[in-house]
Amino acid sequence: MILIRDKRIKPPKYLVDILRFRDQLSYVRLENGYVKIGALATPWDLSQSILHRDERFAGFRDVWSKFGTMSLRFMATIGGNIATATDFSDYLVLLHVYNASVRLRGVNGERVVPLEKLILERRKPDLKPGEIITEVLFPEPPVGASSAFEKFDRRSILVAGLANSASYIQLEGKRIIDVRISLDTTGLNRIPGRLRELEDYLKGREFSAELIEKAVEEVIPRSVAKYSDWWASGEYRLEMTKVSVKRSLLKACKRLGVV
Amino acid sequence: MRGLHRVKMRVNGRDYELEVPGHERLLDTLRYRLGFTGVKEGCGRGECGTCIVLVNGEPRNSCLTLTARLDGAEVTTIEGIAPPGKLHAIQVAFIETAGVQCGFCTPGFIMVAKALLDRNIDPSEEEIRNWLTSVLCRCGSYHLYIDAVKKASEYLKKGVVFIDERDVREKLHLRVVG
Repeated sequence: MILIRDKRIKPPKYLVDILRFRDQLSYVRLENGYVKIGALATPWDLSQSILHRDERFAGFRDVWSKFGTMSLRFMATIGGNIATATDFSDYLVLLHVYNASVRLRGVNGERVVPLEKLILERRKPDLKPGEIITEVLFPEPPVGASSAFEKFDRRSILVAGLANSASYIQLEGKRIIDVRISLDTTGLNRIPGRLRELEDYLKGREFSAELIEKAVEEVIPRSVAKYSDWWASGEYRLEMTKVSVKRSLLKACKRLGVV
Repeated sequence: MRGLHRVKMRVNGRDYELEVPGHERLLDTLRYRLGFTGVKEGCGRGECGTCIVLVNGEPRNSCLTLTARLDGAEVTTIEGIAPPGKLHAIQVAFIETAGVQCGFCTPGFIMVAKALLDRNIDPSEEEIRNWLTSVLCRCGSYHLYIDAVKKASEYLKKGVVFIDERDVREKLHLRVVG
C-alpha cells in the first residue's frame, strides 16, 4: 500500500484479498520431519507456536523481538515478508539458514521452490501470474542444533538494520557438525543470501570464540560486498557485518551451552 | 458505482453497513464517515501507531488497513472502550499517572495497552515495554505510560474495569470549563 502511494511500484489493476484465507493458512505444523508454516501466519501466530518454545528454533524469537513494532507483528505475514524479497525481510534472512523452501500454488498447479532460487532480484520473487505462496517449509532440525538472528542499527526497534545476520549451528561436543550463516545481503544485489565460504571454513572444526573471530575476520572481507547509501557507508556496513555474524554465531553456540 | 464494496462491520458495539471504495483506509472510514475522531493520523505509514484500533481484539494500524476487507469485523476505538459516563481503568490510570502531554498519541497507547491487558492481566515491565513499541510519543512520556499500564493492571486485577467519570473528576478535582 505504501509502495503504491509513494509511486515506487505501479498500481495493480486488481487487488485480491487473500487474507480471507487466514484461518486456513496461518498454521505452524511439525509433519513428516518438516516444519510447515502457513503463508498467512503472522509473527504473533509464530510467537504462540512451538517455534518460540523450542531452542532449535531460537532464531525465530530473535527475529520477533526486532520485527517492526508490536502492532505490526499482528499484521505482517511470513509469506508477505518473503514475497517482499528485500534485504530488510528479517524472516527471509533467518529462513535461509534453515534451508527453507516455499510452496507456490496457482491455476496451473503447485511447485516447491527453495528460497535461494525464489528471489530473482530485489523485490522480484519468482512468482508467476496467478501464483501465491501458500506455505514455507524446512527440514526439522536435529536436537543439538540452534540458531540466532542479529539485527544492528542505530535504534533497537522499527529499523531496517544496517547489518543483519542469522546463524544455525549443530555441535557434537565442541565439534561443528553443521553450520549455516546468512546475511541481509552478501553482495550489492541487496537480497539475503548464504555465506558458504565461511560455513566451509568452520565446518568440522572445534568451536572456540577465537576460531569464530579468526574465521570472520579472514573470510568476510573477501567474500562480502556492502553498498553505501545515506544511512551508512559500505565500509561501515562491512565492519558491522563482521560484528553481527560473530554475535549471532556466539549467541547460537551459547544456546547450545558451549560458551 | 463501480468499485464500491459493501461492508458490514460493528464499530464500538453498533452495526454499520457501508459502501466504500477499495482504496479507503479504515482510518478515514472511522474519522470521516463515522466521526470517531479519537483515531488519529500521524505518519500514515504504520510507524507512529497513533491510529491503532482493535480489530477483532487485535491491535491494528488503521492507516494500513483497507476497510473493504473488514466485512464482518468488530472494531473498537478509544470511544468504545467504556460505556457512556464511565472511563476504562486504563484511561483512569493514564489520567492518574499524568501520562499525557500533548495527548495526540494517547488513544494509540491506550488501545495497545488494552490489547496487552486483554491477553495478560499482569504483564512484566519487559512485556509492557515490548507492546508499547507500537506507538511513538514525541513528547517522550514513555516512562509514564509504562507506569500507567502497571497501574491499570492493578485496577483490573482488583476487578475494577469501569469507573464512573464523575468519581474520577471529583477525586482529581477536574472540572469541565465553559
